[in-house]
Amino acid sequence: MESTLDIFIKAIFSENMIFAYFLGMCSYLAVSKTVKTAVGLGAAVIFVLTVTVPVNYLLENYLLKAGALSWIDESYADIDLSFLSFIMFIAVVASIVQLVEMIVEKFAPALYGALGIFLPLIAVNCSILGGALFMQDRQYSTILDATSFAFGSGIGWFIAIVAIAAIREKIRYSHVPGPLRGLGITFIITGLMGIAFMSFSGIKYGKDKPAEKTAVVKQTNK
Amino acid sequence: MAINRDSNSYTFGFAIVLVVAVGTILSVLAIGLKPQQEKNDIVKKQLDILSAMMDTKAKGISRKNAEEEFKKYVNLDDAIVLDVNGNIKEGVKAFDVDIKKEYKDKNMKDADRNFPLFVAELDGKKAYVIPVVGKGLWGPIWGNICLDEDMNTIKGASFGHKGETPGLGAEIAQPFFINRWIGEKISDENGDFAKFEIVKDGSGSAKESKVDGITGGTITSKGVEEMANRCLKVYSVYFKNSKK
Amino acid sequence: MSDAAVKTKAPSEPLFSKKNKKLVTDPLTDNNPVTIQVLGICSALAITVQVEQGVVMGGAVLFVLILGNLIISLMRNLIPSRIRIIVQLVVVAALVIIVNELLKAFLPDVSEKLSVFVGLIITNCIIMGRFEAFAMANKPWPSIMDAIGNGLGYAGLLILVAIFRELFGSGTLYGFQIFGNSLPGEETGLYTLGYVNNNMMILPPMALIIVGIIIWVQRSRNKSLIEQH
Repeated sequence: MESTLDIFIKAIFSENMIFAYFLGMCSYLAVSKTVKTAVGLGAAVIFVLTVTVPVNYLLENYLLKAGALSWIDESYADIDLSFLSFIMFIAVVASIVQLVEMIVEKFAPALYGALGIFLPLIAVNCSILGGALFMQDRQYSTILDATSFAFGSGIGWFIAIVAIAAIREKIRYSHVPGPLRGLGITFIITGLMGIAFMSFSGIKYGKDKPAEKTAVVKQTNK
Repeated sequence: MAINRDSNSYTFGFAIVLVVAVGTILSVLAIGLKPQQEKNDIVKKQLDILSAMMDTKAKGISRKNAEEEFKKYVNLDDAIVLDVNGNIKEGVKAFDVDIKKEYKDKNMKDADRNFPLFVAELDGKKAYVIPVVGKGLWGPIWGNICLDEDMNTIKGASFGHKGETPGLGAEIAQPFFINRWIGEKISDENGDFAKFEIVKDGSGSAKESKVDGITGGTITSKGVEEMANRCLKVYSVYFKNSKK
Repeated sequence: MSDAAVKTKAPSEPLFSKKNKKLVTDPLTDNNPVTIQVLGICSALAITVQVEQGVVMGGAVLFVLILGNLIISLMRNLIPSRIRIIVQLVVVAALVIIVNELLKAFLPDVSEKLSVFVGLIITNCIIMGRFEAFAMANKPWPSIMDAIGNGLGYAGLLILVAIFRELFGSGTLYGFQIFGNSLPGEETGLYTLGYVNNNMMILPPMALIIVGIIIWVQRSRNKSLIEQH
């Protein structure tokens, strides 16, 4: 089975939040005009993902999942609260974002100056809730795995937004056809970057699998 | 308005009322729909097993009549559960075993794992349906493999997947890939397990225990190979013993 | 923007006045939530491989948006401003859970395919965006119209992208074979002439490129939408 490190690398590259699942596209497109703001938002996403996913993991496994309540008393083993998971996850994300904002403002004003304006944006960033939902879907067996998945996803998102911001800064000097300017060309570039990222799906994970690199890279050229 | 909407007590009161209202509505709905959802899961499982034995579409079997059709072919009283060494386990109901859940659970010991085997009757002959589970490129893959009454020849199969690349890995669910498995044998002359191998050069149809992979879907094909080998091995031991 | 126009509306206005109609028609074209307002792309693209999924997803968003806009609009004078965002989130989340449970019960196959993307409707920016920008400040009826317009605009784009991807990627539309049978060994129709499905279309990045091209076409037809860097 996958090791913690595998999960981490996989979350950054082959299961990149932006290029493989398009999560967090709204802020990705809106805040990628300059590299500086992109770095700020990217860092905030890494931070919030790494904090919220483990919390949601505990919530899922000790409260919501079918039979999760059995640690209180065996008679609760039949209770399945998983239908509440969406609402719980989003509430956790929203309140943690709020909490983090207050804590950072109080104790690290410099960091708040850098991240502050991005934090409220993040509550409705799909990649944060997406992280929680993927965690639930894939049922990671330890909290360590879930955290490394969250951290990796955050880094993947960071890489994606910083890369597109750098490209957008440069593309301003290029002659893009009028109707494609701005949004249109950003979509197409993101698509091309996604195709490039697909080649990462050939990375070999785990020990037991035979090398398959060349075979999978070929499929994207087809 | 007389109420101060920004006062703390109003905010708290509003939050409490909202939470109670939403909680009540959702609980009622979830409990009300639960039987239907559970039934869907059962029907899906039955449909998967049936589709390994026959072309369910051609026979007009769908979610609507799967339950009755399932009873016609499969007798759940004959179904057994094996342990990892191929011995029969008592006290476990084959249909209730969730192999997908067991496969995902890394902390489970091999000795505790269950291997269900369904016995069905098709055109007057016995057929054995083995559920299998493994992982593809993106997520879990699963399936059912149906053996002929000789407990050896593959008669049919059905494969499913969660999110394999459509057109590439996802093709494992297509009839053309499943047809490549039909006629393969799971054990050699001595009754020992014959390992399957997915090959890329197109020679699979001619050779025994070799199956052609899917172009561009290598990792998923390999996943099917690993899944079939790991699961079928357990059963071959049981078949060998029961034939004696 | 159409939002500002409605705030000053007279009380005796007929149900289908020009303004209300405009609320529905605007988001379908010149103010499309996806291509112009750049909202709700997250969940839109990953599930447009098949038209059927696009239709279900569009329908789900439409349902959540209409009911949500209505509820928020009815409660707009009751919601304490400090917990406004979280109240909106709770309403969306509750509606999405309802949709998810209904899908699981009555359309289990589709629900399996959509997997986590149903849950992601919660963070679909269109929904929160419309709550905040429109329903909080408007009466229920215009809010419903606004929801229908934006929901249809979103669903329409989803289906349009899905049509391209399914037709050229799998040679089918809504599951029906358009170009004939593509299975190796038993080809019929176009496939006998050597036509091959374009597997690229099925891969996720193509969705982005198709949306990019749709934006290109739309902005070429309506020059006023062109961005000045």
